[in-house]
Amino acid sequence: DPYCFALKMSILQYNGGSVIAMTGKNCVGIACDRRFGVQQLTLAGDFDKVFKINDKLFLGLPGLATDMQTLHEKLRYRVNMYRLREERDVSPKVFAKMVSSILYEHRWGPYFTEPVIGGLEGDKPFVCSMDLIGCPMVTDDFVVSGSSNESLLGICESLYIPDQSPEDLFETLSQCLLNAMDRDCISGWGATVHIITTTGVTSRNLRTRQD
Amino acid sequence: FRMSRLDFFNQLNPADPLLQERTGHVADFTENALSIPMSVASTELLHEFDRADLPEYAKFEHGTTTLAFIFQGGVIVAVDSRASMGSYISSQTVKKVIEINEYLLGTMAGGAADCAFWERHLGEQCRLYELRNKERVSVAAASKMLANTLYQYKGMGLSMGTMVAGWDKSGPGLYYVDNDGTRLKGNLFSVGSGSTFAYGVLDSGYRYDLTE
Repeated sequence: DPYCFALKMSILQYNGGSVIAMTGKNCVGIACDRRFGVQQLTLAGDFDKVFKINDKLFLGLPGLATDMQTLHEKLRYRVNMYRLREERDVSPKVFAKMVSSILYEHRWGPYFTEPVIGGLEGDKPFVCSMDLIGCPMVTDDFVVSGSSNESLLGICESLYIPDQSPEDLFETLSQCLLNAMDRDCISGWGATVHIITTTGVTSRNLRTRQD
Repeated sequence: FRMSRLDFFNQLNPADPLLQERTGHVADFTENALSIPMSVASTELLHEFDRADLPEYAKFEHGTTTLAFIFQGGVIVAVDSRASMGSYISSQTVKKVIEINEYLLGTMAGGAADCAFWERHLGEQCRLYELRNKERVSVAAASKMLANTLYQYKGMGLSMGTMVAGWDKSGPGLYYVDNDGTRLKGNLFSVGSGSTFAYGVLDSGYRYDLTE
């Protein structure tokens, strides 16, 4: 029956969602869509997928929502313990290694999320993405993840300019995310963009097509 | 490799000697005929397209919301315009309302090609009716022609959930027709994957005396 809708989607596309991180001149941008849904049904438009770890480090977790929440709480615990022991904030490289180890610990029963990390290592931008079992990929331009990752890669390749100022980075990052979301049924319903600079973080919510 | 011709206008006899003469490119322009391969049972072959493990590009588009209802001002038809292949949006500007003729509209849900082709075919049938009977075809008759055509292809994998809406001598008319050959007369219908949501809104807000 063509009208019974139980789609055979991969488990990573059950909730949908997209995250993107991009580097600029001494700044990093990280953005996500805000949709929460179950396959084709949309339930909320205020479900962010990017979390603050510290003032210079953000983590994006697209994929299965329950695993995203659990992983975020586990990492929050580990980061807090690190800060108590080391009496300093965790740096992006060390944090990426931490995430990678936790994911590989569950090699044969993984968390269905492919994280994206964006932060400042001193004043140098750092972006990293990994697959669901923790293989890290560090690039010097941008990383993407989520249900529209192919569209995101395509548009980032076209629109990315190295060493942009925070304002220009915001525009480029937003356009990449918005246009890729418009080609994906299970991402969208708003966007949140964070621009991290050495002086602070600017966060903006974008009003987008609500479909 | 022989192909037979499935004639959907008049039931032609394939053994007819006149048909045997049509060879080469002349046969390709034979009107009102669809080719099906003779070597394989055609329904089994066509069921290949219903398998769940197909690559994305081979899956037909089903994500749609269409609705229509009768009210004091006539019939109103509303459709979305998205086409999706799995989770990928292939187009945001699809025309899902098909103009069968100046007073009949059809909607598209299910396979886009199936709906577009057979509703165009219905338009041809309606025009021929007008020429033979010197009056416009009624919505009831038009929807019945479509339903009967689809019933002939029942089980062969056509995918259509369409509404035929229009105006005739007895006023506004609305029928739901689908690929199983179902034909239902009604005042309010919604078809497609989003139909459940549309029914929720319609059932709470519908009144016959809504203004335009």
